[in-house]
Order: sequence, then structure tokens, then C-alpha cells
Amino acid sequence: MRRLLLSIRDGRGFDIGLVSVPLIFLFAMAGLPLIYNIVMSFQEVDMFSLGTFARPFVGFKNYITLFSQPETWPILGNTAIFVVASIAGQFTIGFALALFFWTGFPGSSWLRGLFLVSWVMPGLVVGAIWNWILSGDFGVLNFLLKESGLVAANIFWRSDPNFSLWAVVIANIWLGISFNMILLSVGLSAIPQDLYEAAELDGANVVQRFYTITLPMMRSSIGALVALGLIFTLQQFDLFAAITAGGPNNSSNVAQYWAWDLSFRQYDFAQGATISVIMIVFVMFASVVYVRSTRHEVRG
Amino acid sequence: MTLHQIELSGVNKYYGAYHALRDIDLKIRKGSFVALVGPSGCGKSTLLRSLAGLESISAGDLVIAGTRMNGVPPRKRDLAMVFQSYALYPHMTVEENLTYSLRMRGVSKEEARRKAEEVATTTGLSALLGRYPRELSGGQRQRVAMSRAIIRNPKAFLFDEPLSNLDAALRVHMRKEIRALHDRLGATSVYVTHDQIEAMTMADHVVVMRQGIIEQQGAPLELYDRPANQFVAGFIGSPAMNFVPAQVGADGRSVVLDLGTPHTVALTRSIEAGRVLTVGIRPEHLQLASEAEAGLRLPVGSVESTGAATYVTTATQPELVAVLNSRVSIRPGETLLLHLDPTHLHLFDRETQMRLV
Repeated sequence: MRRLLLSIRDGRGFDIGLVSVPLIFLFAMAGLPLIYNIVMSFQEVDMFSLGTFARPFVGFKNYITLFSQPETWPILGNTAIFVVASIAGQFTIGFALALFFWTGFPGSSWLRGLFLVSWVMPGLVVGAIWNWILSGDFGVLNFLLKESGLVAANIFWRSDPNFSLWAVVIANIWLGISFNMILLSVGLSAIPQDLYEAAELDGANVVQRFYTITLPMMRSSIGALVALGLIFTLQQFDLFAAITAGGPNNSSNVAQYWAWDLSFRQYDFAQGATISVIMIVFVMFASVVYVRSTRHEVRG
Repeated sequence: MTLHQIELSGVNKYYGAYHALRDIDLKIRKGSFVALVGPSGCGKSTLLRSLAGLESISAGDLVIAGTRMNGVPPRKRDLAMVFQSYALYPHMTVEENLTYSLRMRGVSKEEARRKAEEVATTTGLSALLGRYPRELSGGQRQRVAMSRAIIRNPKAFLFDEPLSNLDAALRVHMRKEIRALHDRLGATSVYVTHDQIEAMTMADHVVVMRQGIIEQQGAPLELYDRPANQFVAGFIGSPAMNFVPAQVGADGRSVVLDLGTPHTVALTRSIEAGRVLTVGIRPEHLQLASEAEAGLRLPVGSVESTGAATYVTTATQPELVAVLNSRVSIRPGETLLLHLDPTHLHLFDRETQMRLV
């Protein structure tokens, strides 16, 4: 005890003391549940063994059962579509908006700030609003599509199995645009203006400047953003709960919603944990990309 | 074919209500090295950026190599610029930095590579072609910025205070190097600086600017010897010219300097008697004199010696600085005997501050 106090007083070990506080916090709040979740995916869990840690280990039986179920592959496919479409939509529109506001017209920074409103809204509220917009009978989206002649009849976004997943994708893109835009705006404003002037004098036109200056200089921002986007999209739960609840007939079900459904509505905790573990693998991959891209920042 | 590579006539530039450039007339001969010099905010950088096309001009004509260039985008002006910050592309190697302009023009890879190696040899960058700008020292970055301009063989080089980020020793060295490069390439260069020494030592033609106006332009020594007004006289030369309020004597052949006490100095020509003037005296034109030939007897305020020269400041109002090219043992409080060559007096009108011709 005396030695410990001394090590803090003389400065040696104090740094370790400081680091250990967040490490202990992280381990208790994130590490333990993660390990518990992985352990559970190899155990047989039912309502009666829920209160104890000593449950029978069953090896990979939960994984085998999971992949023998007919809905597993379609749901994982939905998850992939949801993630790819959401990130693509959020990134493309977010980048376009960031470039638009970057031109610096009067009031641009003010307007850009207003865009953040969509990001601070709770997912359930966004879901409720999009329920109205997407509504089959009286939705604004159907009205616009029909009046502009793009569709002949109302689309029942939330109850048609062909559209239900896309209903959530649309809402999720809307939700994520502002986050993408802000992060990309920060990346854009970090590019020194004189690089563009030099490139202009070197004979590069607008398109060449975008591909040879803007994009390469944004590489770390884009890498970080796509990795964060993957994590956020895999976390997206509220919109599914609010808009389709995974239905109809799992047509809009995704892994994260299914894990919750299995664990807390069907009380099949082992299966829920198994899906979570599969998702953890993907998130770990995204985290590595994120850490690498933020470390390799290019600054002259 | 015109003799002038760049011609500006009646150029004006406004930022809203702010009048940044006023009626600029400037002709830059092909192959000449022109320095734009002046205090910060004088418009020299704005003028350079207007040449480059990074700023538009509000009125007047800009002609480069015989073609009117108003409103032509920078990439079509065929000018190369070296930026104060160097503006190297941080995500490209030195070679990619050098060949960027060639690649944008669709020059083949082999051709671009060959030219990069050629230019790198002349600027001493051969060993660094594979490096990134962040791996280079300040002087090396400066060289990359220059090479990037050279490789294009442009109509003119524009330099925007390119040496201000270097330390003093390297700056003196690069001064010579840039000038040597200019001569070797037979290029036309426009060089912006706030350092009058740089302007004087490097340029064939110096343009002194203040508040958007060209105060005077000409050969460096012409500006030094015959400054058109008090501003140019004070700006060019280091240490700065001494200014003394004065009045022409009753005979019109002498001038009475007001240094707290009156001192009469002969003139080489006659001026209307009683006229109120400001007399400019360069510090090196005040030299030690014997008891017999001393024109000025002034109390010494302070003495600084650099080894090569001695700077003496007099305890008068206003102070005079004399640069003596010998070591003198003189101490504050003693009397300094100085000779003032009347042919080196600069006379300015007190009101207009213009040189009397």
C-alpha cells in the first residue's frame, strides 16, 4: 500500500493509474458483457438456467442450429443490403451536400448547422415521421410519386415484402445524411486552399482537381466515415422497431433486430447471442478499418 | 511578337468598397526579373494573384505574351507560381508533385518521368524523387516548389514571398540560387516580397507599392539613388534614410537643418529662399571628418558596432543614424564631427513629400 501511494506521489505509475480508470470502466461496461455474450453462444440457455453462469456447454450446436434455419440466410442477406444501401446513400448524398455547402454561399454555414437537427432526433421519432410519409394510403411519398407520374398505383411501403426493407433504408439514409455531411465537411475544410490554387495553375480542371486533390486528401476522412457508418448501421434498431418490426414475414428483418427478437421475445437467449457474435466479427473488422484510417492521416 | 511578356494597363481591383489596386500600369519585359515590394497590405500579393488569375481584376487590361487574359481561368494562362507555403501536394511523392502539371496536360508517363529526372538533376532533387513532402526539410520543399514550376516551361514565373519560411542563412543562399536559375532558363519572373533587400539584390526592375498604388518603379540603384518620394526613400535602404525637417536659407544656396539646433549645409543648386523641406540623408553619406572640414558637430546618443561597420545614433531631435565604415572609439555624450556631401542630399517637399527635381 505504501509503495502504491509512493509510486503515485513520485509520478512513476501515476500514468498507469490514470489509464486504468477508463480501462476498468470499459472492461466492466463493455468487455464483460461481450465475453458473457460469446460464452452464452456456446451454451444451452433457457429460462431456468438464466440466473446461473454454470450452464451446459454445447460447442457449436447453436451455430449449426442457426444456419439450419430457413430464415437465417435471407435475414443476413437483408442485413447486407441494408448496410450497403444505407452507407452508399448516406455517403453519396452527404458528400454532395458537403461539397454544396463548401462553396460558401451566403448563409451556408447556418444552413449546414440546421441539417444536424435530423441527427439529434431519436430514431423512434424519425420512424414515426417516416411512417406517415411512407404510409400506403395517405403518405406524402406516394402522393409525390403518383402526381409526378412515376408510379401508377400506391406503393404499400411498409407492408409490401418487396418494399419493406427499402422503407427502412430510406428512413435510415435520411437519418445518417447529416452525420456524413458534417464529417465530410470537416475533412473538406482541412484541405488547404492553396493546394487548389496550385492545381489550378498546374492546369487541372474542376473534375481533375476533385479526383487528384479532394478525394486523396479526404481518404482518411472517408475511411473513418465508412467504418463508423458500418457500425452505426449495424446498430440501427429503432427504425425497424418503429417502421416494420422486421415484417412482413421477415422481409425486412435484419440481424440486429432478429437478435433482439430471439432473445427478448422468444426467450431463445443462446440463438440471440449467436447472432450477436456473428455481428461482432463484422464490427471488429470495421473498427480495424476505422483505427487504421484515422492513424494514417496525410498532412503536409 | 511583343517585347513585353506581361502588360498591365489601368488595372483596378475592388473588394466591395475597398480599393485594393489603383490604376496599375506595369510592363514586364521578356526575360526580366521584376520584384513587387511594399509593406503588408500594399496590394503586391493581390497584383500577383491577379496575374495568375486567382483574383479577377475589376477594370483595366492584362496582356500576357500578346494575348488579353482578363477572365481567362488560371489553368489556361500558362503561368507557374511558387507559393509562400509551397503548396506541395502532401499525398504525392516529389516526382508526382513535379509531374502533376504534365499529367494534367496528358503528357505520357515516360515523358513526364524523363522530364522530372531532368529537372531534379538541375535542382539537386534526384535522390529525393521518391519521398513525400512531409519527409523533406524546408529548403528541400522550397526546391520542389521551384522545380514544379520549372518543369512546365511556363510563360512566366510568379513568386509569392517564397523565402519567408526559411531561416536567414538559407534565405541568402536561395536568393542567389533563384536568380541564377532565372538567368539560366531565360525566364520572365515576377517576385513578391516585403523584404527590400531581396528586391534590391535579385531584381532588374523593382516596383514599390503602397496602398494599391505603384509609388515608383525602376532599376534597383535608380530607386536607391533617386527615390521619387519620401515613402520610397524610407522604404528602400537599410538602415533607413534619415529625414530632417529643413528650410532653404535666405541665399537660396544653403539649407538649414532643424536638429533641435539649426545646422546650415550648402546646396549644389539654388532653390527659392525660405522654402520648407524635408531633407533625406542616407546613413552611409554621413562620414567622419577632421576638425577643419566638419560640416556637422553633433552629440553622440549611442554607438553600436557590428565589427565591419559602426552605427552611431546622435542625441538630436530627430535622431540621425550614421554608418561609419571604420572602427571609431567614440562614446555617448562626446561630440561627433561629420562631413555631409551636398551631392548626396535628397530634398523632398514637406507638403507633398515628393522629390524636388
